[in-house]
Amino acid sequence: MLGWTWGLLFAPQDAVQGNSYRIIFLHVPSVIFAELVYFFMAICALMHLVWRVKLAAYLIKSAAPIGAMITFIGLFSGSIWGIPTWGTWWQWDARITSTLILFIMYLGILTLHGSFSNLEKADRLMSILVIIGVVNIPIIKKSVDWWSTLHQPASISVSGSTSIDPSMLYPLFISVIGLGFTLISLGILSSRSYILSREKNKKWALKHV
Amino acid sequence: MTLVSAQNITYSINENKLFHNLSFGVNSGEGLHIKGGNGSGKSTLLRIILGITTPTKGLIKRCSEDLKISYLGHKNAIKNYLTPIENLELLFNDVEIKIAYEWLYKFNLSHVQDELAASLSFGQQKKLALIRVLAQSPELIVLDEPFVGLDQTAADQLNHFLEEQLSEGVGLIFTSHINPKISCKVLDLEAKNV
Amino acid sequence: MFRLLKTESFKLSNKLKSWLGPLLIMVLVLIAFPLSIDISQYDLEKFYFSIIVVSLLMTSFVATEGMFEEDFEDGSLEQEFLIEKDFYKLVLSKIIVYVCLIGIPIAFIGALFSFANGVAIGSFAKVFLLLILSNLLLFNLFAFGNALSINKGAMLGVLSSLPLALPVIILLGRAIRSIQFGDGFSSIIALMFGLGLILSAMMPLIISAALKTHID
Repeated sequence: MLGWTWGLLFAPQDAVQGNSYRIIFLHVPSVIFAELVYFFMAICALMHLVWRVKLAAYLIKSAAPIGAMITFIGLFSGSIWGIPTWGTWWQWDARITSTLILFIMYLGILTLHGSFSNLEKADRLMSILVIIGVVNIPIIKKSVDWWSTLHQPASISVSGSTSIDPSMLYPLFISVIGLGFTLISLGILSSRSYILSREKNKKWALKHV
Repeated sequence: MTLVSAQNITYSINENKLFHNLSFGVNSGEGLHIKGGNGSGKSTLLRIILGITTPTKGLIKRCSEDLKISYLGHKNAIKNYLTPIENLELLFNDVEIKIAYEWLYKFNLSHVQDELAASLSFGQQKKLALIRVLAQSPELIVLDEPFVGLDQTAADQLNHFLEEQLSEGVGLIFTSHINPKISCKVLDLEAKNV
Repeated sequence: MFRLLKTESFKLSNKLKSWLGPLLIMVLVLIAFPLSIDISQYDLEKFYFSIIVVSLLMTSFVATEGMFEEDFEDGSLEQEFLIEKDFYKLVLSKIIVYVCLIGIPIAFIGALFSFANGVAIGSFAKVFLLLILSNLLLFNLFAFGNALSINKGAMLGVLSSLPLALPVIILLGRAIRSIQFGDGFSSIIALMFGLGLILSAMMPLIISAALKTHID
């Protein structure tokens, strides 16, 4: 909860500091966490399948919507940013494409879990998909890089052209941490309510409703 | 010889307990009738015995790893787009299929053996599925509601065939909401005793 | 294993819809595409390959749809589990049978059409081989999607396996470029062949786990 208030107070404050590039403070952290959330889910999935930890599956289920949300924010903010800088809101660029695929993967995981009435089955199937997905992420990255260097002349590159000024790097760093705390606390909140709803027949859960 | 035995089986689905601490065993030549109302977990218990469903707690022990079990559940596993003969040929080799032919005759299905299974009536399909179970010459037969859908003649026939199998030393576990004429142990899931 | 191969090929060849359907769709797309554009304005040879790639993706998706659904619905999966104790062999034989009965004919049609659209005769074998390998990869991946979604509709299967299929498409595109420009083809084929072997060995294991979860 401390992290939540901290994140909420800091992240917007920093976001106002920059002028034309200020969306970077939303875009970069969200894209970073889009993948981190997925890796977190993969670790949970492994725990669920190998040691049958029920809690791990609950964590995946509560983390997936957050992951999908943050990936969407990353894509959306990227589009908005793209209009002034590249003059277009969408480019078939390697990174954008692989992020879009990541977003589809999040949706797939959520839909899969939602389609089964037996929740324990749904947990296990979801974990299988998450693990296959995490193997797939580097493959997608590699192949998409390969593809885009093939089709596109390197006219546009997101990074590399300008190195980031230290005065901007600092708030960026803080905003990454701020968003991280925000997501963690969001995750704690949503997993709390999800765990309670799943275990609603247990005695200990009744005390907390 | 005890073919299969259950020790302290507990099963819960979505955190609701279906049954608790069940223990029983089936010897060769012995029948076990699992009784209980709708939703009492009869079919689930059969699937636990077969090893398809994993129990929440407890253990199923078989006399040997390759105990030959044949099973018929709610689903007949019959391919509609094949004839009865072709359906049986999916499972049996050239020698075994001869036994299956005899069963087709015994169950009075010989006249439809070359028609598509889709054109068979529900009862005929059930008979075909039962033939697949019996012709496997198993050591343990597991049947889920075998009498449902059979007419009186066929039900009597099935009773007779099952008793024959029992006398040959085959173990039998089945669920049924009616009391069959086969003499066997009864496990009542609602009363929880053998 | 031999019994399963025989059983599966017998079942598939008796289901005319699942077997012939994908082939007809492949032919339909490949014929319909040139008719829908003004050939005089475009250089058809240049991008006819991408039509082949896309229709390959579509047909392999259609072909694998309901790969396990029927066996799940009618209880055959449970029966098979009692005999084999797991589904590895079943899945492996299903994929082999699907690739042989549907994948190879599709690859042949694709190669034939690319041949008819101005590809050099020498490339026919290359394209054919390439399409067979991509079919092997795609069938494995879509089989995985279908095993997850089982009887919950095709959309769910696509959603879960499409991200996996995209790298294959990219690889295929790359290979086709190398055919057109004549370099690096063998290394890509080797890569795809390796991938195909790994996938064919691993996927049945994963699919088997998914199917086991379903009948549980």
